Amino acid sequence: MWAGAENQGNFLGRISIRRNQVASMEPDTHVEDLDQFHKLISDKFSPLLTDYPHHHDHDGDATPSAAGDAFLSAAWVRKLLDAFVSCEAEFRAVLLNGRDLTQIVKPPLDRWIPDLFDRVVKALDVCNAVTHGVEAIRFMLHQAQIVASALEQRPFTEGQIRRARRALAAVLSSIVVDERDGGGKTTERSWSFGRRGGGASSKERHHAPNFRSLSWSVAKNWSAAKQIQAISSNLYTPRGGECSLAQSVYIMGMVLVFVMWAMVACIPCQDRAGLGTHVPVPKNLGWAQSINVLQEKIGEEWKKKEKKGSSGLMDEVVKVEKLAQSLTELTDNFHYPMEEDKEAEMAAKAAKLAEVCRRMEDGLGPLQRQVREVFNRLVKGRADVLEVFDHAIKHCNPSV
Amino acid sequence: MESEDGGAGGGGGLETAEKIILRWDSTVSEEAREKMIFSGDRQEVDRYLQAVDEIQRSLHSTSLSSPSSGDRNPTLQIAMARLEDEFRSILLSHSSAVDSDSLLVDTPRSNSGSSHLDHFSAAAGEAEPESDAGDAGDVDAGSFTDGSSHGGGRGGSSSSRRSIKSATSIREIDLIPADAIADLRSIAERMIAAGFLRECIQVYGSVRKSAIDASFKNLGIEKLSIGDIQRLEWEVLENKIRRWIKAAKVCIRTLFASEKRLSEEIFEGLGSGSGSDDACFLETVKGPAIQLFNFAEAISISRRSPEKLFKILDLHDALADLFPDIEIVFDSKQAESIRVQAAEILSRLAEAARGILSEFENAVLREPSKVPVPGGTIHPLTRYVMNYISLISDYKQTLNELIVSKPSSSGARYSGDQSVPEFDFGELEEERTPLALHLIWIIVILESNLEGKSHHYKDTALAHLFMMNNVHYIVHKIKGSPELREMIGDEYLRKLTGKFRLAATNYQRAAWVKVLHCLRDEGLHVSGSFSSGVSKSVLRERFKSFNAMFEEVHRTQSAWLVPDTQLREELRISISEKLLPAYRSFLGRFRSHIESGRHPEQYIKYSWEDLDAAVMDLFEGNPAAQQLRRKSGLYFARAFFISKIVGDRVRKEYSGTALLELGKQFTT
Repeated sequence: MWAGAENQGNFLGRISIRRNQVASMEPDTHVEDLDQFHKLISDKFSPLLTDYPHHHDHDGDATPSAAGDAFLSAAWVRKLLDAFVSCEAEFRAVLLNGRDLTQIVKPPLDRWIPDLFDRVVKALDVCNAVTHGVEAIRFMLHQAQIVASALEQRPFTEGQIRRARRALAAVLSSIVVDERDGGGKTTERSWSFGRRGGGASSKERHHAPNFRSLSWSVAKNWSAAKQIQAISSNLYTPRGGECSLAQSVYIMGMVLVFVMWAMVACIPCQDRAGLGTHVPVPKNLGWAQSINVLQEKIGEEWKKKEKKGSSGLMDEVVKVEKLAQSLTELTDNFHYPMEEDKEAEMAAKAAKLAEVCRRMEDGLGPLQRQVREVFNRLVKGRADVLEVFDHAIKHCNPSV
Repeated sequence: MESEDGGAGGGGGLETAEKIILRWDSTVSEEAREKMIFSGDRQEVDRYLQAVDEIQRSLHSTSLSSPSSGDRNPTLQIAMARLEDEFRSILLSHSSAVDSDSLLVDTPRSNSGSSHLDHFSAAAGEAEPESDAGDAGDVDAGSFTDGSSHGGGRGGSSSSRRSIKSATSIREIDLIPADAIADLRSIAERMIAAGFLRECIQVYGSVRKSAIDASFKNLGIEKLSIGDIQRLEWEVLENKIRRWIKAAKVCIRTLFASEKRLSEEIFEGLGSGSGSDDACFLETVKGPAIQLFNFAEAISISRRSPEKLFKILDLHDALADLFPDIEIVFDSKQAESIRVQAAEILSRLAEAARGILSEFENAVLREPSKVPVPGGTIHPLTRYVMNYISLISDYKQTLNELIVSKPSSSGARYSGDQSVPEFDFGELEEERTPLALHLIWIIVILESNLEGKSHHYKDTALAHLFMMNNVHYIVHKIKGSPELREMIGDEYLRKLTGKFRLAATNYQRAAWVKVLHCLRDEGLHVSGSFSSGVSKSVLRERFKSFNAMFEEVHRTQSAWLVPDTQLREELRISISEKLLPAYRSFLGRFRSHIESGRHPEQYIKYSWEDLDAAVMDLFEGNPAAQQLRRKSGLYFARAFFISKIVGDRVRKEYSGTALLELGKQFTT
């Protein structure tokens, strides 16, 4: 049965002119649903493409709300997750609208649906990794906040600069994530005077390496990039003859892969080497257009940052990184008293840093909650669909 | 010996203070880099702290308006950097992991449920339901808190707090000795006053987190992804669940609770706003708590199958048991996400248990095996299901809370499904809990499945015997467990009893009516003949066919099996009670006709003692067909006649009512 269907599919695939005719001849109650699903995806993902500072010119791009919505910002990631949640809800409705359960136990859906929920389980681990990634960002935020508060008042004194320098070192070390090592360094602040000589007891030194693995609750060999690859494996574009419900299952898998990929690109996760290559979003499909463009844009950003080893593409993190680098330069060349323009420059950067920190402080909590919300949705959706699916399987094949 | 700088410092005091602080500036002095103040001379500690106070006082008096200006004073900056290092150093010297032995000793209210599972694996066998596992694991660990206090050898200062919380199961230990806590607090106080709260939190969090990480390792808490857990064999996971339950208790009640107390002891009441202690605590524990819960979460979303029910219930019970303590340890607003997550996992475990129960019902309904069990004995499915539901009854306390809806016998789920039996729960007069209704429902669908299986026997008598055996086993298991009996209720139990009795009647009818038919009077008398009135040839045919049928029944039914001894005995008696009197009376009336002819032994092969003995061979499950023996010759029969009658009477009295009634139905 299945082999036959496959052959037919290949055959139809070769005669591409006929594909649509054959598909339209098939009695399919889900065609309308599919159209709606396509539309929803376009509606939800294309706003994410909008270049906010330009788009909101009339609002003035300096206003916090406009700046806060910037491409790849925490607020943007939340919108991405919003879009995902809407698609997931629509998908569940399409699948469970009860019109015909017989379809879901026939090929290819009898395999695609369990496959989809294997992907979902893998995505749950990504959600957990991202949650921890947000914790790592929060550590960086706290160090950046120390910098900002150290440099709040002018004129700058030697004492303030010393304090800022120490926190800056922590900010930058938290940003340089060693991909292979899981980047666990992020939770340490240095001693006030570089490496200690013989002062620390052997016991103290013994404990130092433990700092490394702390922020990661996943196993050592877990890799975000490989996880994304695993989520996208066996995700084939349906052939023309496939029913529209199969198309929906495919699309949902696609959207899942894309959103998880984008999230991992934005937020630090263990081992992201090779992340740039793992998303097979199909080209030339109307509904996938906005996702295509988003993927290209994020992919470009990723290529730029990948070599340096970064803690992710999240706009705020990138901004903090840049500000921390120039502030480090400024503080390294600090002499008291500071020249007027240098001091003004430093103060301006410190103020910007404080502003980014405020946005992060506001954004990270809701982001973390929303990642959890996605997690919960995925769990619920999986349970609901699998229950119906298992029952349908048994119902249709009583001997199983 | 009083410190020389003690008391109120004047202008000279400030100068001395600055000197002390600069002397310990580790960026300048080699000696300052090598040594830690707090691990040396206590007088120096006091001097240093007073020096910091001195400088802060002087700053306050010069600029009252801006308290944060403290961080702009170079000397104070040096002091703060120094204090941060000192703070870290003290924390590090007390950051050894709590050793697992002392942690694992403390397993108060060790869940009796954990022992249930070992029985489940035997559920397919003849395992008896657990009834006495209750208190075996209840180890009182009263000496624990005193015995393991680390290093300090004190314990008085926190006893008051401990007594406040004694209502819960929280058992804090001293992670850091009191004198070190006092030092940490004196440093934290000064850092926070100078606006260095964030530094303080960061240092504290990073050191304590690594200590927790080490304790996690000691407790065997692994870093497994959800994917890892989905891939593991359930048996492996059962062990991990058992370990996790123990570890989670230690984590919540001892490890996290002690961390909370430690952060309170160091930070409580410091700083302008409240909550710095809580911030420090959460900085330390949030990640580990999420890591801990991750395992239970992964289990709660694993694929549902019947064998998982009881371990999932153990996990649910353990987490439910811990929940009040989780609420105490994570009581702040900032810790809300942790409380919420614990609640989510708990409800997912409950959902999983409900799902598994319905999965189980579905599996019982559709268990597909078609090969009849030899001899009509108890089907493995019956054993499995009954052991399963008596385990369910062991968990009734939990399940009564979780199972709140009635079985979906007539629900949409099964609508149109011919294989689902009809059962109207409204028929039951007594009020039953939803769980009890589910148990009854499981028995209903088990019966229905068995009924289907019985049709695969070619011999209808054997089909009835099969139903009798299995329903009797169901009744027997229910009566054997007081919990189960109470839940199922006498009303339904009576119905079941009626069912196996009916099956026994049907069996006897199917197997014996044709045998007894040979012994009827009709057709023997030849009308119009005055001499005897009995046709000898018909009579001979009757005896011959009786012998043949009886031998056949004996041969086949000796291979059949009634495993329950009492039931077997009752069934044999019931057969004897019909067969023997009928044979005896037939023999009594017509024997002379045969004996007067040739070769009487060809027709009267068996005495009724022979038959009685032969009936005793039945249902033993001896597959090798037994030869029907003739123990006593026909002519000895009379000698036993009287004693036999006495024996029958005795038997009738103890055979009870169960099968006696059969006689009435049987003869009609």
